[in-house]
Amino acid sequence: MFDLRQNDLTRDEFQELALKHIDPLYSAALRLTKNDRDAEDLVQDTFLRAYRFFDKFERGTNMKAWLFKILTNTFINRYRRSVKERSIVEGSERDAVHERFVSREAADFAANPEQYFFDRLLSDDVLKAVDSLPIDFRMVVILADLQEFSYKEIAEILDVPVGTVMSRLYRGRRLLQKALASYAVVSGVLQLPEGEGEGSIDLESYRRRRGKSA
Amino acid sequence: MGNEPVTAAMDCAELTRSIDALLDGEFDAREQVEAEAHLAGCGECRTMADRQARARNALRARLRAAAHTPAPAALRARLEQALARERRPLWRRVLSPVPVATLAACAAGALVVLASHSGNEALVEEAIRVHHRALPLEVDASAMPGWFAGKLDFHPAPPHFRGDGVKMEGARLSNLREWPAAYIRYQLPRGEAGLFIVDDPKGRFDAPGREVHIGPQVIRVVNARGYNVAVWRDQEIVYSLVSDLGEDALFQLVRTAQAESGR
Repeated sequence: MFDLRQNDLTRDEFQELALKHIDPLYSAALRLTKNDRDAEDLVQDTFLRAYRFFDKFERGTNMKAWLFKILTNTFINRYRRSVKERSIVEGSERDAVHERFVSREAADFAANPEQYFFDRLLSDDVLKAVDSLPIDFRMVVILADLQEFSYKEIAEILDVPVGTVMSRLYRGRRLLQKALASYAVVSGVLQLPEGEGEGSIDLESYRRRRGKSA
Repeated sequence: MGNEPVTAAMDCAELTRSIDALLDGEFDAREQVEAEAHLAGCGECRTMADRQARARNALRARLRAAAHTPAPAALRARLEQALARERRPLWRRVLSPVPVATLAACAAGALVVLASHSGNEALVEEAIRVHHRALPLEVDASAMPGWFAGKLDFHPAPPHFRGDGVKMEGARLSNLREWPAAYIRYQLPRGEAGLFIVDDPKGRFDAPGREVHIGPQVIRVVNARGYNVAVWRDQEIVYSLVSDLGEDALFQLVRTAQAESGR
């Protein structure tokens, strides 16, 4: 009942296994909370909770993913009060099912050798673009593109199906490219023509179909 | 039905729609084979996949370069302290964590005074909290002139404190709650002080605490958590000086700045 019995050996192990992930956790926390004070609090809470629940951690599984699960949970719980942002996300995710609104122009520009513009953007603009993403999209982009977790790991961290990870990631990336392109336009790096709407992630339905036809 | 359902199963639309998963290495072995079979025979999709791959890699690299931020040393230190405290037996945790200074402040009634006011003492407490965390400075004193320009939408003119051994150390951008603030740290003969400068055109920053008259100025003094905080206003700008000076020394310090600004 009391955690007196947990010996210092376990605790040393925790320090060794967990603390080396502090930089990625802090970088992610900054993008979630958008300010260094809250980010520090969030990381500290994350480690203290992880420490207290260390006996629940399965040895040999992914410590970094486990810490990120605690980080995102802590973040979501603490910021649940800001319901507004979440309901907007849910709304836009619903929209995404019906309208193929995502634009491809930014990706096309980025892929075009003459128009490489990501490299020429200021870090501040890149961060502002990330921070402008609705929180659910921001989380998957952070986990996938910043932290390089696999879809499956992200699904476990966020406790959502892999299909949801894929659609949020797809949309999050396009929104991010759009935001970046608009910063690039503002700073004169890029001139943006009208693009046509296109695309959605559909691996799930492809798999389903393949499953049936096979 | 009985045939091997392997090759060329993926068409252009399917490949386009699942391009992220392909590039992220999320295809299973069979999907991978099918995608490659399609790409081998379709120049248009190869071009598309190639461009998408470059966009993805450029975006990732830029993102990582911009967002990677090492955790501040102060956070690490705090964390290690907190973890060390956690590993102490429970009875020692219960007995030990209240700093002597806090007890002293309680005994002196300072915290009671704070609690009897509503609203803005939170900002003073916030100032103490932020100062206490000793976040790293972003610019040192020599590079400070002009550094705040464009970073805040007001001009934070730092007062000039005079006194033996009073030295401006450097500054960072900060905030007190939702208010952007300039934060300047000073080295004092014993200890240090942190000055927060916020813009307050609407007069919301109405500090609690005792009023003290220093020359023509009225300052308010709050004692909390072992710190003495002096708060004063110069038109629309509010200054909060958090220090571990005694009250007399704090008044003395503030007076030197008042003399300066009253030129």
